[in-house]
Amino acid sequence: MTEKPIISLRNVTKTFKNGAITALQNVSFDVREGEFLSLVGPSGCGKTTLLRVINGLIDIDAGDVLSLGRTPEPGPDLAMVFQSARLLPWLTVSGNIEFVLELRGMGRSERKERAIALLGAVGLRDFADAYAHELSGGMQQRIGLARALAVEPKVLLMDEPFAALDAMTREVLRRELYEMWSRRKMTIVFVTHDIDEAILLSQTIVLLKPRPGRVDGIVSIDLPEPRFAVDPRTYPQFAQYRSHIWQRIQDMAREGTKLEELAGAFPKDDL
Amino acid sequence: MSLEQNETVAAPAPIARRRPVALGPAAILALQAAVVIAIIVGMFALNAAAGKLVMPKPTEVLDQSIKLWSDGTMLKALGESVTVIALGFLFSAVSGILLGVLLGGNRLLSRVFDPFVNALNSTPGAAFIPLIIVWFGLYTEAKIVVVWNAALFPILINTAAGIANANRDLVEMGRAFGAKRAMLFWRIMVPDALPSILSGLRIGAAISTVGTVIAELTMAQSGLGGLLAAAGNRFQMDRYFAVVIVLMALGTALTALLRYAERRLGRWRVVQGEGS
Ligand SMILES: Nc1ncnc2c1ncn2[C@@H]1O[C@H](COP(=O)(O)OP(=O)(O)OP(=O)(O)O)[C@@H](O)[C@H]1O
Ligand SMILES: [Mg+2]
Repeated sequence: MTEKPIISLRNVTKTFKNGAITALQNVSFDVREGEFLSLVGPSGCGKTTLLRVINGLIDIDAGDVLSLGRTPEPGPDLAMVFQSARLLPWLTVSGNIEFVLELRGMGRSERKERAIALLGAVGLRDFADAYAHELSGGMQQRIGLARALAVEPKVLLMDEPFAALDAMTREVLRRELYEMWSRRKMTIVFVTHDIDEAILLSQTIVLLKPRPGRVDGIVSIDLPEPRFAVDPRTYPQFAQYRSHIWQRIQDMAREGTKLEELAGAFPKDDL
Repeated sequence: MSLEQNETVAAPAPIARRRPVALGPAAILALQAAVVIAIIVGMFALNAAAGKLVMPKPTEVLDQSIKLWSDGTMLKALGESVTVIALGFLFSAVSGILLGVLLGGNRLLSRVFDPFVNALNSTPGAAFIPLIIVWFGLYTEAKIVVVWNAALFPILINTAAGIANANRDLVEMGRAFGAKRAMLFWRIMVPDALPSILSGLRIGAAISTVGTVIAELTMAQSGLGGLLAAAGNRFQMDRYFAVVIVLMALGTALTALLRYAERRLGRWRVVQGEGS
């Protein structure tokens, strides 16, 4: 663990609307190469903003970020999977994958071949010529994943990729993702607000708290491998991690944010 | 007893009432033919009641149609009108899309020119006809300018709006995968604006037809508009109706053509927007 981190954030601060909203305040953490790290926290704590910062889609106001040893810049070394698949609706499934391969500078004939191979990898080879709207949400999300893998990224950034799916599809895709990660050992930064999902998948969980977005704590997860040999929820450690994180989130809520919101919902003159 | 009867009648009623919704294409066609017959009968009735100045006999309209088509008058007029519509629409489509892409893609340009575009768009196309006559005369080229001027703005505005409102999530996706500005613009924003561009074109085509007839009525009389004015001035209502029928067919054909193009280009749009 002495090796240099692949992503490192030091006292990162990001504001919006000329400083009116502080989305991130003094956020610091590292991601090791090959690590599966999850960012967990309630809505509005800056998870998406953090991914954008790491990808180089937005600039920060203060602090330092290094992705792959340099100032982050969008490109094929970093690939993003979004909550909705964000497929280009006017392109076929294979066209969508070819699009990002073209951005990588791959030749036309090679692109097609590789797109088909990747669709095979996510089990959707037969849908190469379909349009996005002809597929189910789970299939679309698989294609979003295939597209990200297509560019052979060093780091995979995933923003609540399974949040919009039904419980069964989510369960299957989680396992597939974990097994893919185990084989390839790529670095994954995974955003979720599902505690179970974070524990199931991660080696490290960075807990965030909102308004402004800050790091609340970092939890290392150690579960028996291979994790999905049995339902990991049955491990006693799982319950311990879960109650620990649950408690921290209760504490966050107790810091007043929630009560304040409720109080604001009842105007004084009505009482 | 009467109650029982009521029940037996009431039960199948919902099914019977539903059936017309699932009418086949042949039945629809039959109904449409019935409407046409009703219109023809109505014309005969109005003709009998109020005289041929108010409503010509459909048979006379048919006679005039045959005459106008066989002596080449109608074909010549149709050719003149189609030339003005087609060239006017073509120029407005090309320039409207180009300018729209420019304004939609460049925030500075769009902010500077927005009030001017809106002012010109809000002015009725007919208001410019006197100026166009002074500048370009009364003949075909001037009429094309009238049509161009009228159809330009809806196309321009729809194109610009489509591009300016391109789906931000898709643009961000492109950026995340390393697409540069030109790529984002031509490969994501412009295709995403295609539905909006096409609806601008459809409005522009409809306006082109209207603009052509107005130009032909108010400038040097020519084409179908010219025939319309000549027949109307001489109270030859049978002749007048023969021309109106051709105009109807022309407008319908144009709209159908654009709908076809829209469907061809926008196959991916079916059912879209239901998901995310
Ligand atoms: N482009 C923006 N302009 C203004 N404010 C923004 C922008 N992006 C994010 N914010 C604000 O920054 C804060 C963090 O937003 P962010 O989207 O990162 O949260 P999140 O943790 O991803 O939430 P969720 O779980 O709901 O996706 C929010 O208060 C949000 O309103
Ligand atoms: Mg988010």
